[in-house]
Amino acid sequence: MNAPDADAPLVERVKQGDVKAFEMLVVKYQRRIERLIGRMVRDVDLVPDIAQETFIRAYRALPQFRGDSAFYTWLYRIAVNTAKKSLMELKRDPLVTESARAGRDEDEDNPRVENEPSDAATPDAVLASKQIAAAVNFAVEALSEDLRQAITLREIEGLSYEEIAELMNCPIGTVRSRIFRAREAIAARLRPLLDTREGDRW
Amino acid sequence: MAIDGFDNISKERLSALADGELDPAASTASCAAWSQDPQLRADWHAWHLIGDVLRSEDLATDPRHDRAFCARLRSRLNSEPVVLAPAALAGPFGSRLERPSHRGRWTAAGAVAAGFVLVVGTFAVVRPGESPPAQIARNDTAIAPSVTSAPAPEVSTQPVAVVADSKVIRDAQLERYLEAHKQFAGTSALGVPSAFLRSATVDSAAR
Repeated sequence: MNAPDADAPLVERVKQGDVKAFEMLVVKYQRRIERLIGRMVRDVDLVPDIAQETFIRAYRALPQFRGDSAFYTWLYRIAVNTAKKSLMELKRDPLVTESARAGRDEDEDNPRVENEPSDAATPDAVLASKQIAAAVNFAVEALSEDLRQAITLREIEGLSYEEIAELMNCPIGTVRSRIFRAREAIAARLRPLLDTREGDRW
Repeated sequence: MAIDGFDNISKERLSALADGELDPAASTASCAAWSQDPQLRADWHAWHLIGDVLRSEDLATDPRHDRAFCARLRSRLNSEPVVLAPAALAGPFGSRLERPSHRGRWTAAGAVAAGFVLVVGTFAVVRPGESPPAQIARNDTAIAPSVTSAPAPEVSTQPVAVVADSKVIRDAQLERYLEAHKQFAGTSALGVPSAFLRSATVDSAAR
């Protein structure tokens, strides 16, 4: 898709010295980056550390980012390089191929690389994840046709507001409002699962 | 935390920003609102989580993990020098401006120097978008000395020492990149601003 990079306004803010705009990008991409690293790294406990390092490196390198690719493509590359580098430094078995990943349980002789449950893999966390996925799907099903179509075209198809407006035959302002209302409706269903219990806030 | 009407306007703007569909001025305002309003931050997270889950269910993560991750990163970012775009800066020192609030021992001279850097940077920001090739080349090199700017002994006072502590300097790949670009650095790009830098740091050292 050659649509303009949706992150461009935030990237521009960061370049002008707005560190909060970078935090916004972190909140947006942290899950994807952790999943990517998790596919490369055997030790799940290392994943958050490498993801942290990825974002810090990206932040430092951002002045060199010229927007030749999408921001996420650039970030993705940094994550891959950071993961490779971290693993080489730690002299651990670096890359996990798909087959090694599938056969992990069988050939796991060495207790050193045994996957300990981290906060991303505890039964609690797994349950929370499943509940969230179920709540999102349920909430999307419950949306009106207009809202569901708008949010789907945006989030799944990655279309711009202009393209959605054309497809849905309505003004861009309506698209913007429908997407926002769809998000709010889904978020409302999620809120009981997302609300902070220990008093820590976003 | 605002309620209802006004709140919805700023939320809808934030939603448009999430899609890259907000103009620069409104984006600036929206970022500012985000940083001040925990509810907007919670919404921002929820919306992106929703988008991720719609695209792929295995991206449904425990929100506690997300929150802890971001809190940890925020504290690391707070000890990072603020980055400024090279395109916006003419001098080699400008792309990494130290943030006084995180550097307790900033001297007045240092602060004045930083102010000057900021002014230079601001002028560069309003420069027309189409830069000639020479300008781009200078911008490339502009980052290099600021990250590794420890070479001259008299420059290696407070701010530089902090940058030198960071891991960037030990990154061999980046190091090579910076070296390569330093070779092409025009003397005009380096000479004048480092003179400013030197005098500022000497001043601060003299205190």
